[in-house]
Amino acid sequence: MSVLRENRENIPKSLPSSETKNVITPEDVLRLPKITDSYLCDPDANVYEIDFTRFKIRDLDSGAILFEIAKPLNVDGSAEINCENDESIDPNSGRFVRYQFTPQFLKLKTVGATVEFTVGSHPVNRFRMIERHFFRDKLLKTFDFEFGFCIPYSRNTCEHIYEFPSLPQDLVNEMIANPFETRSDSFYFVDDSLIMHNKADYAYNGGIQT
Amino acid sequence: MGFLTVLKKIKQKEKEIRILMLGLDNAGKTTILKRFNGEPIDTISPTLGFNIKTLEHKGFKLNMWDVGGQKSLRSYWRNYFECTDGLIWVVDSADRRRLEDCMKELHSLLLEERLAGATLLIFANKQDLPGAFNIEQLKEVLELERIKTHHWKIVPCSAITGENLLEGIEWLVSDIAARIFTLD
Repeated sequence: MSVLRENRENIPKSLPSSETKNVITPEDVLRLPKITDSYLCDPDANVYEIDFTRFKIRDLDSGAILFEIAKPLNVDGSAEINCENDESIDPNSGRFVRYQFTPQFLKLKTVGATVEFTVGSHPVNRFRMIERHFFRDKLLKTFDFEFGFCIPYSRNTCEHIYEFPSLPQDLVNEMIANPFETRSDSFYFVDDSLIMHNKADYAYNGGIQT
Repeated sequence: MGFLTVLKKIKQKEKEIRILMLGLDNAGKTTILKRFNGEPIDTISPTLGFNIKTLEHKGFKLNMWDVGGQKSLRSYWRNYFECTDGLIWVVDSADRRRLEDCMKELHSLLLEERLAGATLLIFANKQDLPGAFNIEQLKEVLELERIKTHHWKIVPCSAITGENLLEGIEWLVSDIAARIFTLD
């Protein structure tokens, strides 16, 4: 494919003008002191048809998969449906994931978090993810990663391998005692403009509930 | 095995290292990436995009990009050149029929301005297969001695057995680290 053709495709006619909208930038979300009350963009802001097809969390020390959820493929049906924890996703919204872990999860040392996504017919430039994790109003972790360019019709994966932040024991106890008060916002930008916003919440009291 | 092992050994002066892994389709790029990071390698299908692994260790980041090698995807490789510190070129040492194609693709990459400063590691993969070319044979067919513009090394390996993956990547990362330090 020629450079010229790609450049033309970068400005698809179907994209709405950003002037009519209040554009949210990476700087805006990096300043947020807590989880947002609402989604900061409409689902239809995702004009690039970026579709998250898999989330997976594994423990690198044992190799165990702690969580995996995948969407079936809608194109050729070749992907297997792997839904080990199907009650954890809200059927009304593809923008929200609920994770339920045991207290052991907070003792992990090295974790790998994988996302898989597909891209529509337009090339995507400067695709960037910013993910913010909070317990109540306390910021636990910020991920900020630029995927950069994404090939049209591509299927891509990204695994962030990270050492679990060491949290003070009283905070850990609070997080276990207060399920779903640990939350995250995932913001996705193309060319510094917000196109997707997903949310998740987390419980760590699995197996100890009465 | 894995990034952590490598990272713990190098001096952490630099904030981020970016490694790009390329090669013809079916060379074993994704299998290497997964094997190296302790993932199962039994269900790998052709990469129709990229696979990224990013590792954080004490504020230091190592990012590895594996981009699909099918002919239709190669024109997109250049979108991933920017800021690359290390290039891993993966060769299917047993695919003799396509070694000339492999040689041409490699040498055209090395002309790329944005890859000019990158250290080059060539993984001679699939050494476990009968009929695989050895290092000396590959040096000749791939015309490696012609390469004067990049620090390079060829390492025989097998993504299936894991042989030499750690050694290769350790060499790459330490060469990059040494180069970055001299610039400081």
